[in-house]
Amino acid sequence: VALSRRNGRSRATLAFLVLTSVTVITLDARDDGAGVVDRVRDTATDAFAPVRDAAGAVLSPVGNVFSGITNYDDLEDEVARLRSELAERRVAPAQARDAEAQLDELLAQAELAWVRDYSQVPARVVSAPVSNFEQTIELDKGRRDGIAVDMPVIASGGLVGRVVDVSGKRSVVRLITDPRSAIGVRIGAAAETGIAEGEGPGRSLSVGFVEVNAEVKRGDLAITSGLEGGSDLYPADVPVGRVVRARKIEGALQQRVELEPLADVGHLRFVKVIRMPQ
Amino acid sequence: MSPSVRVPPFVLVMVLLQTAVFPQLRVFNVAADVLLLVAIGAGVVGGPERGAVLGFVGGLLADSVLTTTPFGLSALVYCLVGWCAGSFQTRILHATWWIPVLTAAAATAMGTLLFAGLGAVLGQEQFLSWRLLPICGVTALWSAALCPAVTRLCRWALMPDPTRALVMR
Repeated sequence: VALSRRNGRSRATLAFLVLTSVTVITLDARDDGAGVVDRVRDTATDAFAPVRDAAGAVLSPVGNVFSGITNYDDLEDEVARLRSELAERRVAPAQARDAEAQLDELLAQAELAWVRDYSQVPARVVSAPVSNFEQTIELDKGRRDGIAVDMPVIASGGLVGRVVDVSGKRSVVRLITDPRSAIGVRIGAAAETGIAEGEGPGRSLSVGFVEVNAEVKRGDLAITSGLEGGSDLYPADVPVGRVVRARKIEGALQQRVELEPLADVGHLRFVKVIRMPQ
Repeated sequence: MSPSVRVPPFVLVMVLLQTAVFPQLRVFNVAADVLLLVAIGAGVVGGPERGAVLGFVGGLLADSVLTTTPFGLSALVYCLVGWCAGSFQTRILHATWWIPVLTAAAATAMGTLLFAGLGAVLGQEQFLSWRLLPICGVTALWSAALCPAVTRLCRWALMPDPTRALVMR
């Protein structure tokens, strides 16, 4: 009798907790970004921030060792790729200088546009995503520094992502590799347009809506088009990535194009948030 | 010192581990889900009701620092997994050391699948991607590795006699 009573109480507790969870989920779903749930999240993010900073500073060498061990094959591939690039540059220094000059010119043009039009907030990356299902990074600057939701974030080389959540002292950036990220891009000299979508960490971006007859080739630079891609809107002319694969499939109406992000989004330390007018 | 005094600091320390320490220690870009393991450990040690309660509280705290997942989803999943782990554990004999370890690994994998599945139902379709299987596998391995320590800490936090709990297998 006692066991049966205990089982009954246990089930009642479970039912109560499940109902409470469902209620909280419903409240969050109905919340449009300014309700109780967001305030709770903002407070918790700021409260845990100092401890997370300290743990990050202490444990980052250990984390790097873990990363080095578990990604040893990737590192070997990276070393091989860099050696191959170095060899190519030695063989054809003039070509390399020319390519570098073109890239520098494009980056400089983009940078000039930013400086002229918008101010930038430099920020340090303080945390990797807490959940395994998030493709985000956390920055040490927040609302107090003038950062707001939807502002684009860049790093040396190119686009990193977009701010999706801001508390007083912290902001969360969704990376361009997140499957929810969609960026309107222009590719190559012909400025072919498409929408680049994330495919997860360590994977290239997949570009959709590129016409089958478009002139896209390996090595072409992709920059933001300024056109709306999915739900994300970025300003024009920010470098995003280089084409690593462009395939025309027989009978298909679109090409399959893949981009390698210019910014190393897996190992970011410092970024700049573009303070676009909201 | 009663369990009601030991449990809050225990849960808080586990939240700090989950949010500050384990995100730095990733294997194949996957971190351990310590709060899910706490729910499982509480279920194994204290039965389904305690597993569900600790899972709910831990999940709610995890939800408060997660920014892009539905608030309450972790609480729902962790309390269900804690309850199931407790129900399963009370039905079998605690004869060997590896049964809780296996329970923790299997329950973590199931919990991760449930999280992704319910997340997809709530509009997070990207949870159901090619990464789901590696995430399930690596978090299950993490849980198996951390299970002895976390189970012992759960026993310390939940049992009336913590000195005895720490020396128990």
